[in-house]
Amino acid sequence: MASLIHCPHCGVRPKEEFSIRGDASLVRPDPEASDEAWNDYVHIRSNPRGRYREHWQHVAGCRRWLVVERDTFTHEVFSVTDAAAATVAREAGR
Amino acid sequence: MSRTYISRHPLDDLLPLEPGIRAVDHLDIPRVVAIVSVMAMDGEEASVAAGLAASGDASARFSGPGEWLAVSQPQTAESLHRNLSLLLAETAYIVDQSDGRVVFRLSGPNVRRILAKGIATDLHPAIFETGTSVNVLCGHISVNLARTGENEFELIVMRSFAVALFDDLKVMGREFDLSAGFSVRG
Repeated sequence: MASLIHCPHCGVRPKEEFSIRGDASLVRPDPEASDEAWNDYVHIRSNPRGRYREHWQHVAGCRRWLVVERDTFTHEVFSVTDAAAATVAREAGR
Repeated sequence: MSRTYISRHPLDDLLPLEPGIRAVDHLDIPRVVAIVSVMAMDGEEASVAAGLAASGDASARFSGPGEWLAVSQPQTAESLHRNLSLLLAETAYIVDQSDGRVVFRLSGPNVRRILAKGIATDLHPAIFETGTSVNVLCGHISVNLARTGENEFELIVMRSFAVALFDDLKVMGREFDLSAGFSVRG
């Protein structure tokens, strides 16, 4: 597990200060989408070996949601961004 | 039916009323401190930060982007709330937290070695400069830590965690004979 996270608001912090929600790359399906699409969105998760984007919340610090891009095998952390900024960037990129 | 509510400090039963012998490393607990949380409205973060910096005797403690705790010892909670509401009207939400938070003031030459037992951030004087404040985990308790002097730190904690944090700080400071008591100033 990546043990030091560079929070964009608080600086370098140990992982104990964070709570992990899971995959950050999921996109919520349309409300009218099929049951299969909703089942996949709610329940089906991959367990990748390698690079992974996750939602982490800095519970004991700034309490902001962050998007942490890390390697599940080498524990390397590639980037940490505020989730709000990450969403803005993703929507601009569409 | 009218009731009279008596304000009690959560550490009233754990600390002597009279100040005891003070060691070089001392944990000073002020009984009454005015604390309000300030949360900037969308897009007003910079103007609220500037307003807080100019607000005189209230010190602003960073607790998140666009969020601060404004702390003042001489002012009462009501006057701090009123002053900031006038100063930051239409740009920030201001809520009184004085009864919900407890302030610990830790000072002495070994204060960084004491804090290092529970806090994982770099507290070196060159990195954590006077006036810096952060939300950080101390043991298992989330606190707002601020450096208020050369060798002086203030911890602000939720009232319900005050007794647990006090026990933790006593254990952390035992090696240095940390003394503890209510502030003489009140």
